[in-house]
Amino acid sequence: MFESSLCQILFYVLAAVAVLCAIGVVAYRNPVNSAMCMAMSFAMVAAIFFGMGAQFLGIVQLIVYAGAILVLFLFVVMMLDIHDERSSSNYVHAAVGVLVAGFFAGLVINVSLGLPGATDTPCPAKTLCSSFGELLIGDARTVSAAPASAAQYGGALPELNAAAAARLENPAISEADAAKATSISDVKLLGKCLYTHYNIAFVILSFALLSGTVGAVALARKIRKD
Amino acid sequence: MIPLAHYLILSGILFSIGLAGVLIRKNIIVVFMCLEMMLTAANVALVAFSRAQGTAGVPVYDAQVLSLFITGIAAAEVAIGLALIVAMFRARRTVESTALNSLKD
Repeated sequence: MFESSLCQILFYVLAAVAVLCAIGVVAYRNPVNSAMCMAMSFAMVAAIFFGMGAQFLGIVQLIVYAGAILVLFLFVVMMLDIHDERSSSNYVHAAVGVLVAGFFAGLVINVSLGLPGATDTPCPAKTLCSSFGELLIGDARTVSAAPASAAQYGGALPELNAAAAARLENPAISEADAAKATSISDVKLLGKCLYTHYNIAFVILSFALLSGTVGAVALARKIRKD
Repeated sequence: MIPLAHYLILSGILFSIGLAGVLIRKNIIVVFMCLEMMLTAANVALVAFSRAQGTAGVPVYDAQVLSLFITGIAAAEVAIGLALIVAMFRARRTVESTALNSLKD
């Protein structure tokens, strides 16, 4: 219980850092600072993916976003020799932007908290405090988690079930072997889905990437006049 | 465990910060970074839904595949967009979006 609530606290810390860095992207005048904040924010999101058990997507997030895309941005910023944004005293513009974004954020928060079961789970800070109490005074109280049922899908995420994943991965596996599985092989299951149901879409994606590279070279090269 | 709603709230906040950046900033490169942030916010929501809608504790991998496609398309989009920005800088010597006003004057 103590460890799991520590993991929950970690999620909130990572989320707070991600949001702060995202604000930094918008707030810094220097594009290099913005790019660094963006990398930090993406790394935090990757850590949140790890916490959700999506290890492959976390790694992809780190390599593609925090690695490749960041380098591309920094390369262009340094190649173009951009000076800081001139301080335009257009506060009306900024106020409208913040207002629209704030309205949208409020809308999303309202809808999310309105999901069935969204507010059933105890606050993780409270859980942690009670776990500390357990450690200190040896009280055997247990904090009941919200039941993860289909009707309460807004509530706590269901626990990962390694045995069910092992059965899905290999239908011929025996019950005893399935029960022995300790962790979900995320990459294997994702690859199974990607290369069977979404095979054609995957090939089209690779063509999109190819045409993207060719198009980038065609757009960015110097046009000769002869 | 953390409820789905908190992941969705994180995703919504990240998306709105990106939206605010797109609306407020004039430097096109930073606007582009904010667009990337909005795509990442969508990824967070998709992965959270893949966990929440899973049957018998196995995530729905369709959502994660979709998230992978978003990442791939974002990479292609960044390559094209930054090439366009370089071309714009060659033509106008600036990357401010307020400089794109030849139809207005």
